[in-house]
Amino acid sequence: MSRAVPLAIALVPGGPRPIVRQIADQIRLAITTGELEHGERLPSVRALASQLLVNSNTVARAYSDLANEGWLQGQHGQGMFVAGLQGRLSQTERKRRLDEAVAVFVATIVEIDLQPSIALAAVTTALQDLDTRRVA
Amino acid sequence: MAHLDNALETRALTHCYGRKRALDSLTLKIPRTGIHAIVGANGAGKSTLFRVALGFQAPDAGESMLLGSPSHLLTPAHRGRVGYVNDAHTLPSWLRLKSLIAMQRTLYPRWDEAVLSRVLGYFSVSRSARVRELSRGERAGFSLAIALARQPDLLILDEPTLGLDVVAKRAFMEALIHSAQAEDATIIYCSHQMDEIERLADTLIILERGKLANYSAPDDFTERVRLWIADMPFKGPDPASIPGLLQVRRLDGLFHYLVLDQGDDFGNWLKAAGALSIRQQRVNLDQAVSAFLSAGHAAPN
Repeated sequence: MSRAVPLAIALVPGGPRPIVRQIADQIRLAITTGELEHGERLPSVRALASQLLVNSNTVARAYSDLANEGWLQGQHGQGMFVAGLQGRLSQTERKRRLDEAVAVFVATIVEIDLQPSIALAAVTTALQDLDTRRVA
Repeated sequence: MAHLDNALETRALTHCYGRKRALDSLTLKIPRTGIHAIVGANGAGKSTLFRVALGFQAPDAGESMLLGSPSHLLTPAHRGRVGYVNDAHTLPSWLRLKSLIAMQRTLYPRWDEAVLSRVLGYFSVSRSARVRELSRGERAGFSLAIALARQPDLLILDEPTLGLDVVAKRAFMEALIHSAQAEDATIIYCSHQMDEIERLADTLIILERGKLANYSAPDDFTERVRLWIADMPFKGPDPASIPGLLQVRRLDGLFHYLVLDQGDDFGNWLKAAGALSIRQQRVNLDQAVSAFLSAGHAAPN
């Protein structure tokens, strides 16, 4: 199992901002600034609860909120990991952007009067190229 | 029917001292697992509730069940499953810790030496010391260590951190958090320390004059209270007419209203009442609870 990254979180108890939000805000910020990188493992719920001296349910709630928003990714029995950028977009947002890209692509194909099979082959090749680059 | 899933359950529990009602038809259900904080002004009935729940005191009316058994019929076996620590931390002062520990070990079948050592580790007390040689914080830590080592299903703490210094308080909280996680014990805990409750508690239970006034997560309670600061001409509206008013103060000619369960509409209400400028603000748990409790007291002028 990968080691957890150290996570520096400063809580302001007695502030008007709930502790669960303070934790989530600071993790989001750490991810945005690159302090936490894609694939890194966060401390366990228990460890972070002990570190911050808060109820572990509070930490668990912050983690699950962040996972729902796509910032973190839970892996069964392995803990919480920083999700990649794609994880941060919601399902509907990804669908919307895909539809947008497809519409632009189709309009171009119509404009240049290309056979659909040729267009499809070109897209397939381009996507396969992308895959090989990712593996490398 | 009593539910086995409840750590503490009361129905229409009433208890009077003379003419004063310490518990006034209190109906309350505290589930198993989790940390539950009970808050109330002095004399709100917290300690009476604990005494009745533990069967030390018979109520005038109503019922109380602890871990599914009627409080007045608790057997030694039942009591073995419940830990109770109050702020007095009373222990026989002449005994050495190790003799006390040896005694406890034989009395409680579920005694766990590892838990004892772990909790004592937070407080750095020597086992060869006598009880009377311990500081207040060390005594609190030792009481907690003993209570947790018995592996109770339910731990009741009556103002456990009262008078402890910051180091002892921190150690106490760490030990509690660990136990709630690792031993899965239910902890019912009464305190006036809101910063502690904010960190520790799953549930905030507010008692007011022997009645249940709130049962929710601490954050949800804080969310119900808002501070509105308004520049009002003249004397402002009659406090009795202000919806949800908990507390009003006049500072530098501005009115500070703490209100309960009022949405953004309250701003319109203030404008209609003649406010020239308005500002709305969230409050912290301490402000929310003290405003809520003070609303039941004498009206401020």
